[in-house]
Amino acid sequence: MTQKSWHLDRREFIRGGGAALALPFLQGMSWGKTTPGKALPKRMVVSYIAYGVYEPKNKDGSHHDWSWWPCKEAGPLSFNQSASPFKPLVNSVSYLRGLEHAGGVGMGGHSSGDVFATGADMSGTEKTNNISVDQFAAKMSGHKTRYASLVLGTEGGTGSYGSAKTLSHYGPGRPIPSLHRPQEIFNRLFNPYAGKGIEQVRADLKREASVLDLMMEDSRKLQGRLGKEDQVKVEEYLDSIRALEKRVERTSQWTHESLPDVDTKGLNLEVSHKDPEEYTRCMYDLLYLAFQTDSTRFATLMLESEHSSGSEMWNYANYVLGYKGATHDIAHKRPTESGKWDNWRAKQHAYFLDRLRNTPEGESNMLDQTVVVWGSAHPHASHSTKNYPIQVAGGKALGFKHGKLHSYEGENKVPLANLFVSMLNAVDAPVEQFADSSGEMTELTG
Amino acid sequence: MERLIRDLVISAGLVFPQLVWADKVVFEETVKPFFEEHCVSCHGTQKSKGDITVHTLRGEMVEGDLEHWELVLEMLEDGEMPPEDEPQPDAKSREAVAKWIESGLRHYVEKESKVAVATTTRRLTNFEYQNTMRDLLGFELELSRDLPADPDKPYHFNNTAQMMMIGPDQLIRYKEAARKAMASAIVDSGKPELHQSSAKWDHGKPGKGGLTQAEIGVYQGPGLGKKTMGLKSWPKTGEFKLRVKASGNLPPGFQEVPLRLVMGTSLRHDSGSGICHEVGVVHLTNTPDNPGEYEFRGRIENVPVQPSSTHRNKVRPPSITVTAQNIFDNGELNDHRKSGFDASWSLEAPRVVLESIEFEAPVSEIWPPEHHTRILFESSLRENKPAEYVYEVIKRFMTRAFRRPVARDEVDHYYRVFKVYDAEFETLEEAMRETLAMVLVSPQFLFHTVIDQAAATKPYELASRLSYFLWGSMPDEELFDLAASGELDDSAVIEAQTRRLLSDKRAEGFVENFSTQWLSIAKMKTVNINRDLFPRFLYTVHLGERRGQEQLFRPTIRDYMLEETVGFVGELIKTNASVMSVIDSDFAYLNEPLAAHYGVDGVRGLTLRAIPVKPEHRLGGLLTQGAMLIGNSTGSAPHPIYRAVWLREAILGHEVKPPPAEVPALSDSAGHSADEAVSIKDLLALHRQQESCADCHVRLDPWGIPFERYSAIGKYQPLVPKEKVRVRGFHLKTDKTLADYQEYLKSIYTEEVDASSRVPHGPEVDGMSELKRYLLKERQGEIVENVIRRLLTYSIGRKLTYRDRFEVERLLKLAKGNGYKLQDIIVSVCQSPTFTNNP
Repeated sequence: MTQKSWHLDRREFIRGGGAALALPFLQGMSWGKTTPGKALPKRMVVSYIAYGVYEPKNKDGSHHDWSWWPCKEAGPLSFNQSASPFKPLVNSVSYLRGLEHAGGVGMGGHSSGDVFATGADMSGTEKTNNISVDQFAAKMSGHKTRYASLVLGTEGGTGSYGSAKTLSHYGPGRPIPSLHRPQEIFNRLFNPYAGKGIEQVRADLKREASVLDLMMEDSRKLQGRLGKEDQVKVEEYLDSIRALEKRVERTSQWTHESLPDVDTKGLNLEVSHKDPEEYTRCMYDLLYLAFQTDSTRFATLMLESEHSSGSEMWNYANYVLGYKGATHDIAHKRPTESGKWDNWRAKQHAYFLDRLRNTPEGESNMLDQTVVVWGSAHPHASHSTKNYPIQVAGGKALGFKHGKLHSYEGENKVPLANLFVSMLNAVDAPVEQFADSSGEMTELTG
Repeated sequence: MERLIRDLVISAGLVFPQLVWADKVVFEETVKPFFEEHCVSCHGTQKSKGDITVHTLRGEMVEGDLEHWELVLEMLEDGEMPPEDEPQPDAKSREAVAKWIESGLRHYVEKESKVAVATTTRRLTNFEYQNTMRDLLGFELELSRDLPADPDKPYHFNNTAQMMMIGPDQLIRYKEAARKAMASAIVDSGKPELHQSSAKWDHGKPGKGGLTQAEIGVYQGPGLGKKTMGLKSWPKTGEFKLRVKASGNLPPGFQEVPLRLVMGTSLRHDSGSGICHEVGVVHLTNTPDNPGEYEFRGRIENVPVQPSSTHRNKVRPPSITVTAQNIFDNGELNDHRKSGFDASWSLEAPRVVLESIEFEAPVSEIWPPEHHTRILFESSLRENKPAEYVYEVIKRFMTRAFRRPVARDEVDHYYRVFKVYDAEFETLEEAMRETLAMVLVSPQFLFHTVIDQAAATKPYELASRLSYFLWGSMPDEELFDLAASGELDDSAVIEAQTRRLLSDKRAEGFVENFSTQWLSIAKMKTVNINRDLFPRFLYTVHLGERRGQEQLFRPTIRDYMLEETVGFVGELIKTNASVMSVIDSDFAYLNEPLAAHYGVDGVRGLTLRAIPVKPEHRLGGLLTQGAMLIGNSTGSAPHPIYRAVWLREAILGHEVKPPPAEVPALSDSAGHSADEAVSIKDLLALHRQQESCADCHVRLDPWGIPFERYSAIGKYQPLVPKEKVRVRGFHLKTDKTLADYQEYLKSIYTEEVDASSRVPHGPEVDGMSELKRYLLKERQGEIVENVIRRLLTYSIGRKLTYRDRFEVERLLKLAKGNGYKLQDIIVSVCQSPTFTNNP
């Protein structure tokens, strides 16, 4: 396992990674076409689907209509039935076949989702995972927006090792709990002062900073009184306090910028899992609003975890398709439900991409300023941990080129982390290496 | 198990591994030849199944390898290895090798291991946080639902130190929760404004549907089956009171009708929208000529509020709705229709007669309320020596929040925090709320800590360990007093306290939290029940956009099933029954809907209780309970693999590895579609023929097959359709009544279920009763040991290691001499040096 060589001290990363509050330089509204002289935002999204995708093959060698992959051969894209929602977006999407994270191969299909956005060697030397690609970017460029990043999921929390319910990690042993309640996400994004006046907020923050200082002091004393193993646990706490201190600092800076005025029309923040389409779109809408108001530029969205049996996600396929079984089981069944399920998921994702594309920004649109990864680390029915389904969309103004299916099978094999390196370099988070990467994804950016 | 010997080999190459055991003579003569003969062919240079190699083993045991040696030992002891189809070593040499390993471990643990063994500092779980706040503040505030969910892992407890992480995001939530709590706990000075609302209904002549205005029938459609009252106004915080005047209209044969009150947003049965908070349930036995008054209390903070909205340019203010429901359920409410309840039930079933509801908040008979004066106590100090008063307030609160006496410098610290707030807030109340909220985000509050080398705090740590084990909460006065007087050291006192804590209502939380995780039953709530095959199991909505989906806003049969399992375990503890009752018992824990589901007659009402069962009921023990059977089914069919995994993990205490990557799914490997009605037993047999699957499945499948006569919804079902016959669902047009559909099912359920299999290293068992008999007779030790290990693990919040092996052995022996009584086992766990941290 090659060592990661980041440009920044790793320890610093872990500590500072928590600082997830920062400001938009425009007052809330979208960038539109009239912001001469200022750089347009460069954004990144990683979005995850679980329980595999359907990858059947026709006996006569032709491409299967319900395969998750839009077409059979590498080269220009054509779209089968399953991937048809992306047809109108043909010039903005690419498919990458044959990629995976080596660090997840030994984890088992229901666990490799843990490393989807990190590429950490969890089956080897990085048992507690490592920093995710969005947090790496947030660390470098997160200060440009009110929130350094936005971590969304549909089940909430962190999950545990091997069954993550979040894609994002500050660093080893530091998963970030994902937010999953629309109303709460909305409030945290757009109503952070909970109705308080700005002077009040500033006074509160100032006081909070002094109190945190005191807390730090006292906790250190406690730490000294504990056994060695236990000191490590309190160190986790101290790290959190340090991160909060930084957050307070940033939040106070951002109080000088007014909050965006967000139109909630058409947003049903009360929506529940009982209405999968409305819920999923609401999550995508919130993500869209966060971008449109430039509240953040880096986000992850775990649409499904690989262990959803305790949540309503388990019943999504039933609510959506009337399928008589758990969403997970659909991966093991033949054939139309599985294809229809993929198609439904594709529709939701296409909805998001389309919304970005329809919003003008600078000379083009928001999609061109946003690179979006969509896929899974649990490719198909056999619980394999290889050959992830990966779609990359958007980011054309950041140097990405689209319209093709690229094959990395056999001799063309490269680490999936190469894609992360290209993405990071495209969003002002320059890096030479990330996780086990061996270079850049030049086919997409070159 | 995976990296077992691979690690042994690696660590043997470390620079200075401490040698802890070497008995070369025995190794050369017995151990080495044994490994060479029985193990190396699969775990050697040629093959390394499960990534294990043993050919390089040397006759030494070094520190760092011991955990792995324990695993080898377990494999030998359980007879898991060598596999059954390989030549078996004779019992004598198996024993000799086991003894060699065991002596090595024992030698190390007894002689060399006096150091702290594991991380004990861990943060409170959300369950513990919620309960601690309740007992600290003196009222129930729902706080944990806004904290990130604790990590969970099937068959593991979520309180292990390793899994309990904390980060900035978590800390922010703690801070928000703490401030919310203090906003409620400390009230502003002055008498509060009183908020009141009321509604009345006329119990006069019956209307069109046969019900009077005051009557609530069982639910039968949108807008029915409930009465509502909107609140005019309410305070931000405080206790509220709901007084209802009600009775039951009970047709002959019914003794009671349950009235349930919930508060929240307006509940729309048809669209499924709305959220609510249960205020209480009363089982009405009085008749309308004798209406009773019933009072419920709750905290207004826990009630969800419908936010303000704009509709056709009119602003609707925020609102709270009180909803009264009739939740009568005899398990047969929808027996006549495709979905929904038969309308006739609203007249045939008991009705609630609700004459009035009165709401009042805050409850102010005593003002300021007790939870306020508990913190800001009445004293002349407040006027005369304000600084001293503040200091004392902080100190008292900290002592309870930290669950131990606090040091002067600790109090000084929060006094300084107070000064920061005091400078900016006008009232003491405001500054104190903020200060004490910071106490509630301190590591001393949020973590279970063990102060190094501090004799003074030890008894308090033990008091906390007891209360967090058995209540999931902080110690009460009595425990604090015993800690202060030093009496908690005495094992007779520990016994008395353990039994006292277990008999307290707070122990119900422990039983629920422990059982739910131990048995991994929560998932049963989300199994997708096939409503075509089981048209009667769920109560569904029969009108509107949610037609055919499960009804919301009332307890369901699945809720009762979870209560059944938790209540069953609670009953075993309460009556100090044998642990072996988990396999079989002469009672089941039921209420009326559950009894109807399982086919037990004569159980009335919704209250769950122990009901004697007879063999023909095919109940008793955990194995046949709905929570297990449904949780480990597909919703359409039983799932013998899930059920086998459950039995091995939860009951026998094995660790079952998940299927490795690249293993084809069951149906693929068998070359069949799972949609076709191939018998599952045949399917599994085909699966086992694949070499990659066989290794694990020969040790798995046989445990699940005997469950096959229990359907996906947990009913005894000895007959199934012939192969390739598809069962059609209930059709209102074809089947006029449920009886017709049952006739149809009878006509196609013609094949007897094959539920016989030979358990690994055991006999052929046919079905559940033989499986139970076998487990009771041959697997006692394993089953009891597993329960002891689970209890011990849960109680100390860490995984057990080889170091704990001998303590577990001792506890098992003790239990055996005592008839495996469950409450006694819990007592012995609490007295164990491993628990008291007093080796």
